[in-house]
Amino acid sequence: MIYKIMLLLYLFIAFSLAILIFINKNRFVNNIFIISFLLLQSGFTVYVCLNYKITVFEYFTADSLAVLLLITLTLISIASFFHSNLYLNRHDETIRSRNIYFSAMIILITSLSAAYLSNHIAVTWIFTELTTLSASALIYHHRNKLALEGTWKYIFICAISITFVFIGILFLSLALKNTGSTDLSFSNLVKYQKSLNIFWLKLAFLFIFTGFTAKLGLVPMFTAGIDAKDNAPAPAGALLSSVLMNVGFVGIFRFYIIISNTEISHWANLIIFIAAVLSIFIAAIYMSKVQNIKRMFAYSGIEHMGLVMLGIAAGGIGYYGAILHIILHSFVKSSLFFQFSQIYAVFRTKNIRQTGNYFKYNPIGAVVLLLGFISATAMPPSGMFISELYIFKALFQSHNILILIFVLGLLTIIIWSFSKNVMKILFLDIPNFDQTKIQKFSRLESISQFIFLFTAIWLGLNPPQVFVNLLNDVVSAMPK
Amino acid sequence: MINVLLIIFIISLLFLSIANRLKTYARVISLQGFILFGVTYLQLQEINTFNLILVLLETIVFKAIAVPIFIIYLIKKNNITREAEPYLPNFISLIITTIIIISTILIANSIDDTALDKIFFVVAVSTLFTGLYFIATRKKIITHVMGYLIIENGVFVLSLAVGNEMPMLVNLGIILDIFASVLILGIFVNKIGDVFKDVDVDNLTELNDL
Amino acid sequence: MLSLILILLASLFFSGIIIRTKSILSGRRGAGIFQPLKDVIRLFKKGTVYSQTTSVIFRIAPVIYFSSIVIALLTIPFGSHRGIISFNGDFIFFAYLLALGKFFNIISAIDTGSSFEGMGASREALYSMLAEPAFFLLIGSFALFTGHTSFYEIFNFLHLGSYITYLLGVMAAFVLVMIAMIENSRMPIDDPKTHLELTMVHEVMILDNSGFDLGLILSAGYLKFAMFGAIISNFFIVDINFGYSIPSYFAIQIIFAIVIGIIESFIARFRMSHNSQFIFALTSVSILIFFGVLLVLEKF
Repeated sequence: MIYKIMLLLYLFIAFSLAILIFINKNRFVNNIFIISFLLLQSGFTVYVCLNYKITVFEYFTADSLAVLLLITLTLISIASFFHSNLYLNRHDETIRSRNIYFSAMIILITSLSAAYLSNHIAVTWIFTELTTLSASALIYHHRNKLALEGTWKYIFICAISITFVFIGILFLSLALKNTGSTDLSFSNLVKYQKSLNIFWLKLAFLFIFTGFTAKLGLVPMFTAGIDAKDNAPAPAGALLSSVLMNVGFVGIFRFYIIISNTEISHWANLIIFIAAVLSIFIAAIYMSKVQNIKRMFAYSGIEHMGLVMLGIAAGGIGYYGAILHIILHSFVKSSLFFQFSQIYAVFRTKNIRQTGNYFKYNPIGAVVLLLGFISATAMPPSGMFISELYIFKALFQSHNILILIFVLGLLTIIIWSFSKNVMKILFLDIPNFDQTKIQKFSRLESISQFIFLFTAIWLGLNPPQVFVNLLNDVVSAMPK
Repeated sequence: MINVLLIIFIISLLFLSIANRLKTYARVISLQGFILFGVTYLQLQEINTFNLILVLLETIVFKAIAVPIFIIYLIKKNNITREAEPYLPNFISLIITTIIIISTILIANSIDDTALDKIFFVVAVSTLFTGLYFIATRKKIITHVMGYLIIENGVFVLSLAVGNEMPMLVNLGIILDIFASVLILGIFVNKIGDVFKDVDVDNLTELNDL
Repeated sequence: MLSLILILLASLFFSGIIIRTKSILSGRRGAGIFQPLKDVIRLFKKGTVYSQTTSVIFRIAPVIYFSSIVIALLTIPFGSHRGIISFNGDFIFFAYLLALGKFFNIISAIDTGSSFEGMGASREALYSMLAEPAFFLLIGSFALFTGHTSFYEIFNFLHLGSYITYLLGVMAAFVLVMIAMIENSRMPIDDPKTHLELTMVHEVMILDNSGFDLGLILSAGYLKFAMFGAIISNFFIVDINFGYSIPSYFAIQIIFAIVIGIIESFIARFRMSHNSQFIFALTSVSILIFFGVLLVLEKF
């Protein structure tokens, strides 16, 4: 009972803070509101961790997946607010656009928390819609023609995807019809796993999977996310490319648990394999010709999500590897995006061709970029090396050798493109670089990225027992 | 009577595929809204009256009247040219729409579940794919929005099929409808009309990787 | 026998009524109702001129066209009286007889060696090809609905009761009227008045015919009109008892002619590219009629 009240209280306070920030013009008061939101978010995360394993009023649950992702979300959002503040100070924003930015970010983080915690597919759906709304307000921040184009594409594709998820929910209710129950919560669906109508379940999976690929960043709906991450300001882009992709994963994963013990699990795995391999393929192609740094990071995100879904489809230790991978990826990708603000401050451009010799102008930031690059391409000692190793082992153990070889080849191409670009940014000198245009920024801004990158390494190489237990608990519902 | 209305609904889809002018599109979508009003009234007998009145109001006010009038207003305000410019000629659109309808009928035949009235499935899925087809083959942004509205109508039909047991899903569908219409139409097409002179998708090609 | 006589009678004045309606609607008094008949009689008295580039085909085509229409006439029933030829599957016989006549028309047009006529012939072939599935699906749906496969039995056993069958009946009537318009090359598919190069379809095919041949072709056209009018009136007169059925038959034919006249006066012909769309749309509507019949029969 108390949990229910706390949850509603959290939502209510968060939304009111967002509205207050939107209407209040005083900057100091707004900063107070932002700090109070961060305290609220952290407090709520602690509360959820303490109340682990309680399901309340059939709509929300605090299981291991929710706890893990919620902790990740809170940490990244604290850093994101910090960097947003620096970004907005550097860019001379008006009060109004600043307020809209922060309100939208608060709504985004709140909806993400609620979506992670939800136990009912319709609740996930509603909060995913809210994330679309708030994310588009963030993307439209600069209000120029490119931003408009990116926002339009994002909203349109996400609207279509949300409609697809809704159709999937309708088919799911049809699948549930002959069991006599009308409760669409995940726990209820798991209970009636064996008696769901197979045909409708297949259709439901197809539509829900396609719908959530817009958030997750897989074929076929990934295009929205690329433009979104390119146009949004870098701290918002960090959120979009880490925790927003996680909500897509949550939507698919909770549904996948339901069908993993039914007859259609092989068919579903086939669909996921096709989507994942195509995504990695497309990421490889685009990364070899991309020239915009943020787009490069975005395509790398698609490749990682493809790997995560490969792990899910392969089974066995792949489940563990997939969840580990998604948590580590959130930390690594967001730190790369945070570092991008500094790259932009130095070079004033997003184009790779016009950047170079970053080591000379910002050595600490360059170390961050180098470390982030090593982590993102999953070279040791990155934590993602461990998770990718688990995923590949799972692919090998499930006799999908051809897929493994193909994906390894594609990953080689991706690593090559990524290295080519990053090495150029870091080391290659550019002629005629105007040094007077560099904006001033403090070297201490890189601290958050170091924290995240080392967290990623630590969680991968020497994870604490609590973390391992949580991960094992998430995969315990899956078939062996 | 429900079957009659649904067959007229499919005929309206065929008519959309050969229509030339944007105003015709808006009018046909309005007609579809009225048809859905009738179907809702006849189908949802078992949910409570207050909910039913809400759903009926939404169908009439939003789908049939407000959104088409707003689209016509936008066309006038942005001076969008009258023709819908397709990438493929209308004849091929008509053939493809017919093929979509035939394939959904064939797929529906292979379902052996008696839980669903098959005509709802046929209408919903063919409307969905026709809407997607319109989005993919028309140049103007406003026709993309109209394709999305057609998809919404199809989803609404499907939610009516299960609406008697789970009225919450019909309500969710209405929330989706209102949210999408207000957001997409109210905010963005307005903005896009202000920024771009010709409301063509060709203008939205600056974000690419080259 | 009865239906043959009635159709022959109706064909005498059908085209005249159309032309008279159009004239009155444009404010003129117009020619008399039997003027087309008098034109045909005049043509029969004239001699024929044959071009030197033509062959046997050109000489026999009008006769084959005319005779195919006359034989097709024989299959049409009237209310509860069979046509002279009536067997299972006779609607297929009917459709392909008309196609035979049209085929000879087309090849005789190409035979003249003129590029105009070739162009008209290709358009005519396209429209007939697109309209053919519509006709078969339509009559086939009704055959499925009533369980019989001959014209006489289909119309006799057709009972329209529930809402959905009324809808199917209305849609079927619309498709049939449009097919009649296509077959007879009237608006909105083809304008019988224009003799301009790029817009003619049927008229252009008979440019080179003269005298007796032209008379045959024109009278075949009038017979076709009356024939389609008879098919359409069959929908309505099955349930009326005998005393009233002949006057109502003529009434329906006259109304049909007047409606065609009105449509021709007020609607312009479609753009050429829209014609093929429109005709194919008829096929799609026929598919929907078929689907509706499946629904009614609960085979779906």
